[in-house]
Amino acid sequence: MTDKITDPVALWQKMVGEMEKGFNSFATKAMETPEFSQAMNRAGGAAAGAQKQFGDLMEKYLLSMNLPSREQMTGIAERLQSIEGQLGEIRSMLSQMSASGGSPIDAAPRPPRTKRPPSEGGGPK
Amino acid sequence: MNAPTGLDFAAIPERIQAEVQRAIQRSIKGVEYFSSSGPTLGSTPKDVLHSRGTMNLYHYRPMSDEIYRVPVLIVMATTNRGYILDLVPGQSFIEFLLRRGYDVYMLDWSAPRPEEKSLRMEDYVLDFIPDCVRRVQADSGEQDVSVVGYCFGGVLSLLYGSIFPDGPMKNLICFTTPIDFREMKLFSNFSDRRYFDVDRLVDSVGNVPPEMILSSFEMLRPASRTVSQIQLWENIWNDEFVKSYRMFDRWATDTLPLAGEYFRDITKDLMWDNKLFNDTMSVGGRAAKLENIKVPILHAVAEHDHIVPYDAAKHLIAKIGSADKEEVMLKGGHVSLVAGANATKRLWPKLDSWLGTRST
Repeated sequence: MTDKITDPVALWQKMVGEMEKGFNSFATKAMETPEFSQAMNRAGGAAAGAQKQFGDLMEKYLLSMNLPSREQMTGIAERLQSIEGQLGEIRSMLSQMSASGGSPIDAAPRPPRTKRPPSEGGGPK
Repeated sequence: MNAPTGLDFAAIPERIQAEVQRAIQRSIKGVEYFSSSGPTLGSTPKDVLHSRGTMNLYHYRPMSDEIYRVPVLIVMATTNRGYILDLVPGQSFIEFLLRRGYDVYMLDWSAPRPEEKSLRMEDYVLDFIPDCVRRVQADSGEQDVSVVGYCFGGVLSLLYGSIFPDGPMKNLICFTTPIDFREMKLFSNFSDRRYFDVDRLVDSVGNVPPEMILSSFEMLRPASRTVSQIQLWENIWNDEFVKSYRMFDRWATDTLPLAGEYFRDITKDLMWDNKLFNDTMSVGGRAAKLENIKVPILHAVAEHDHIVPYDAAKHLIAKIGSADKEEVMLKGGHVSLVAGANATKRLWPKLDSWLGTRST
């Protein structure tokens, strides 16, 4: 068998690993500079600004097409969320009631809370 | 061995044959890779105890004949999905805890909806976590609850513990939890207050999109994604490698958006003013000093963590007010500390031995 020094595949893998480390290290140094932060945030800010303008434009367009606005859709979503929350509460209450009343729904018996750590003689069971 | 050249000529045909076989396997497995969906993640049986907007509380079904008295509530980081702690059977932290006799709950997050952009830090710390703790108490019938926080879930747990020092939190375990945000050098530079207009961003986009969160994580090691794809191709004949790659890759790219106001709070209070480290943090007008935490605490950090460098996490134990406190540094990175083959041998047994004696 070839050893790692003479194995071209191992050499290739080592080279890729070294290149990764080198590039990451170089990029990290570059990204730690204030100039990078300034350039990155200038580009990001411009993108966010463009996104806001586009959003405003879309809202006007939807209004002219007699379609529901984002605000109206959000209102409906909030009401749905509220209904979902209430359904969750009802489900939770039903689970508790069935557990206390001995009904089979969600009332699987739980193991006793008596376990001791192995160091106190409570070995694996 | 041929001494002058260092080459073993006799072994070359064998090596070429192995490489040809691997090349054939790569072609076959490559087709399989793109035509299959990968392993099913997060499949440990659980019940959704409560769900409210971005917040989900799960209870995992016990897997042992008797369990410890004190239930465990895991608080997941708000940027990522909780199934990193429940990958596949045999590599699931949740399954490990269940088999060791813990009663496990998880506070996991869904993507915040557009109307949840107004959620603030106080919603997470003063509402979501206390709500889940109360539900764990009611469901388990126990007053005490151990809390485990991963990454930013650890920060939220620390804030909760420092605001509610009188309980019911009995033990606190933090995984790779930053408190000194100046030391998160790249994130700190990305959000430099001179150039980063967080108000403009949040006012423009509402919730911060997941692509932005993912990009900022990937920029920490910009070459690694390309290299990992090269490694995938080289090892695509190896089913175990491919399975592991798919699990972690799917999770890493399944990033969550962040609620806009919450992101604004994180940026201003933590990234800019470093308030948690400076003992000036408050949430909803309530002081959150780490010295208020008096419960037993274990902080696990990773030796090669590129997301939360040790310098950002190392002061936690010193600033906590507990008498019973411990930091443990283990080999691995930010994710491999808690999940994957190495975590099964390193972190999980350590956590079990620490928490078991404090869970009765």
